[in-house]
Amino acid sequence: MLKYIIKRVIAAVLTIWVLITIVFFLVRLMPGTPFTSAKLTPEVAANMEAYYGFDKPLIVQYLVYMGNLLQGNFGYSMKFTNRTVNDIIGETFPFSADLGIRALVLAVSIGLVLGIISARNRGKKLDFFCVIIAVLGTSIPDFIMGAVLQYLFGIRWGLLPVAKYEGIEYTILPACALAFYTLASVSRIMRASMLEVTQQDYIKTARSKGVSDLRVTYKHQIRNAIMPVMTVLGPTVASVLTGTFVLESIFAIPGMGKYYVESVSNNDYSMVLGMTIFYGIFLVTCNLIVDILYGVADPRVRIGKR
Amino acid sequence: MKKKILAALLAAAMTVTMLAGCGVPGGGKEEGESSESNEKVFRYSTRTEPTSLDPTKSNSIPDNEIQHAITESLVRNTGGEVYPGVAETWEVSEDGLTYTFHLNPDAKWSDGQQIKAQDFVYSWQRLMNPKTAAPYAFIGEYIKNGYQVEKGQMDPSELGVVAQDDTTLVVTLEHPTAYFLSMIGAQAQFAPLRQDIVEKYGKDFAADAEKNIYSGPYKLTSSKNQKWVFEPNEEYWDADSIKLDRVELSYVQTQDTALAMYEDGELDYVELPSAAVPTYEGKDNVFRNGNVDYFYFNCSNQYLSNKNLRLALNYALNRNDYNDLVNNGISAPSASLAFSGLKGVEKTYGEESTLQSYPLDGDEAKAKEYLNTALSELGLSNPSDISLSITTTDAETSKKQAEVCQEMWTKTLGINVTIQQVTYNEVLSRQQSGDYEIAWGGWGSDYDDPYSYLELFKSGSSYNYSRYKNDQVDQLLEASQQEVDAKARMDMLHQAEQIIIDDGAFLPQAERVIHYLLDDDMKDVTFFYCSVNIDWVHADVEK
Repeated sequence: MLKYIIKRVIAAVLTIWVLITIVFFLVRLMPGTPFTSAKLTPEVAANMEAYYGFDKPLIVQYLVYMGNLLQGNFGYSMKFTNRTVNDIIGETFPFSADLGIRALVLAVSIGLVLGIISARNRGKKLDFFCVIIAVLGTSIPDFIMGAVLQYLFGIRWGLLPVAKYEGIEYTILPACALAFYTLASVSRIMRASMLEVTQQDYIKTARSKGVSDLRVTYKHQIRNAIMPVMTVLGPTVASVLTGTFVLESIFAIPGMGKYYVESVSNNDYSMVLGMTIFYGIFLVTCNLIVDILYGVADPRVRIGKR
Repeated sequence: MKKKILAALLAAAMTVTMLAGCGVPGGGKEEGESSESNEKVFRYSTRTEPTSLDPTKSNSIPDNEIQHAITESLVRNTGGEVYPGVAETWEVSEDGLTYTFHLNPDAKWSDGQQIKAQDFVYSWQRLMNPKTAAPYAFIGEYIKNGYQVEKGQMDPSELGVVAQDDTTLVVTLEHPTAYFLSMIGAQAQFAPLRQDIVEKYGKDFAADAEKNIYSGPYKLTSSKNQKWVFEPNEEYWDADSIKLDRVELSYVQTQDTALAMYEDGELDYVELPSAAVPTYEGKDNVFRNGNVDYFYFNCSNQYLSNKNLRLALNYALNRNDYNDLVNNGISAPSASLAFSGLKGVEKTYGEESTLQSYPLDGDEAKAKEYLNTALSELGLSNPSDISLSITTTDAETSKKQAEVCQEMWTKTLGINVTIQQVTYNEVLSRQQSGDYEIAWGGWGSDYDDPYSYLELFKSGSSYNYSRYKNDQVDQLLEASQQEVDAKARMDMLHQAEQIIIDDGAFLPQAERVIHYLLDDDMKDVTFFYCSVNIDWVHADVEK
């Protein structure tokens, strides 16, 4: 088991190193520079390039960057000149993560229940209803959901705050909007995997033993069916917790989604790298945890990978 | 084994649920923040996030607007009028080159220390020092030796700004600059800085509200979570004139969200998104922010180097229809270069202008006439032999802008026009490299003078993206930089603009008009068209 974990960790570190290297050189290929502005003069551009060390060879810049990175230092943003990328992530990530956790709790709990209900009532009205929710959830983009919820509950009925993130009541609308997609996909996967499990021999065995219907579902079906849901949760957790650009913009939440997207159009190299690495580490870690949990839960995985 | 996992998962789920039940990051609303009835509070939002709280590194209008409240320059520009700031009085030499400022000994920093002439010397030298890499350093090229210092050819100590004693500051300029006072009263880069404070924090100076001290009417008390909170600075020399108890600026990117927040009573001021303007007719107010929209013609292009073709393009554009189609009719169609609301000699620049330009409704007959002349000059027989491409940004309005011009030109002139949409940054780099035929453009000035707009067509200027060259224009603009007489100088600028228009050097389109809603009880909020759009420093809430 330990060997398995060590192997996975080494693979994860390598993945992140490759990611950093590729992104470091890719951002330099983007058109424009971080200093591009309508009023930029050649003199100012030259001074700014020297300030950020762009006048040195690219490989030297790479080594300097890696050196700083090993000390956990993402450097100063090139757009928000007095702030470090660490500082910006430190300030915005808690908001994105808070929103993400709320959305996840909502999505996973309701999604699982819907998936189970719909599998148990396959082909009946209840199943039909759950499928409709799943289809709607996967086909309506979260920003439309957000705008609709904002209009209805915030503006039309005035029940909840329209925007900002300054208390529990502020979190409800964006969390629901963000949860909807994940909720739908969790319920879909759970339903499919429940139905698949139903065909397994051990379910038939349990049934023929005379175990009650509810007990079969609880004791045998759900436990086995939940594995595929765990698989998708790894990347989902990473993406939901690191913020969504449009939703955060609609609800004026000071999260990190905006920086992730806009750093690219601003050519803010250090911010693009910082955000990508942060997201990369987060994603790889989530997958690693899922992998390890998998190994713990299912001995076949461990043996298969040896 | 499985039971253990289940237990672990359950525990995790419980922690998560508990977390979810707790408060939000940043602690949510602060104590006392929910409006106490007799507190005078002004809340508004910005669509563009400020880039820096260090005045030297200010790089945008939102940056300037914050600094306008938390720093006090030598003078204060409120809506275009210059008032004493840290300087009580000043004298200008007859040649317009030397300014002697006498500082108010009662002007203090928020920590109680006196604001001294040396604080300006330090700040301005820091601005021009190439090691600072200030994005707006070019604004200091007016100061004697500014350009050489910026290029690293001279030591910052040779900059034309000298503290004779604690309260006397002597500034020497490169050339007489009519708008110098107005500019330093609104551009953040000219604010004083305390060397000990800047050096104490080093690169982290002004990274947040705590890592700074303030010379202005307000102190920044928080800059966390995309919200900036201002409270009056008790040490401010003119503290009695400050009426508000608190100002809150939030970053709200989506205009519709800001409008919803205004409707909900969470903001006291909001800019209307253009689609919402008709809904609020009669309730809204307007101001012009000094931004002009236009297209650049690349004058080194094989077709566009022909003046008659450029004129044909200009006459073929119906600017009234253009404004209806592109801006829902809410901007002001324009056929001139410099923003009309700028300060003239006695009235505004626009009111004093005698400019003869293209009719706002366009002129098809004239356009065709110019086109025929152009065709024979270029040795072409058919309008469809001419193909031009418009390079514009990926924004929705930029696309509309280009499509309307394309439609009018192909219909009236019969030439081929294509549209190429690239990122905003890419448009700017193509303007700078000259790799375009017709390009999206726009300008807002950093100082209250037409020179800023006219300089776009001065050969040798780094902003001459059109590669336009006219010796007469160059001479007039050069001479205007030496002229001390205001009237004579303004005449030169009007003349230069007329030549640029007669040459069809570019395609003027519209002046931006901002529609906004402001709570009725808000008084004395000032709007301005350069550096600072909204100025609430002397605002008041009427009870």
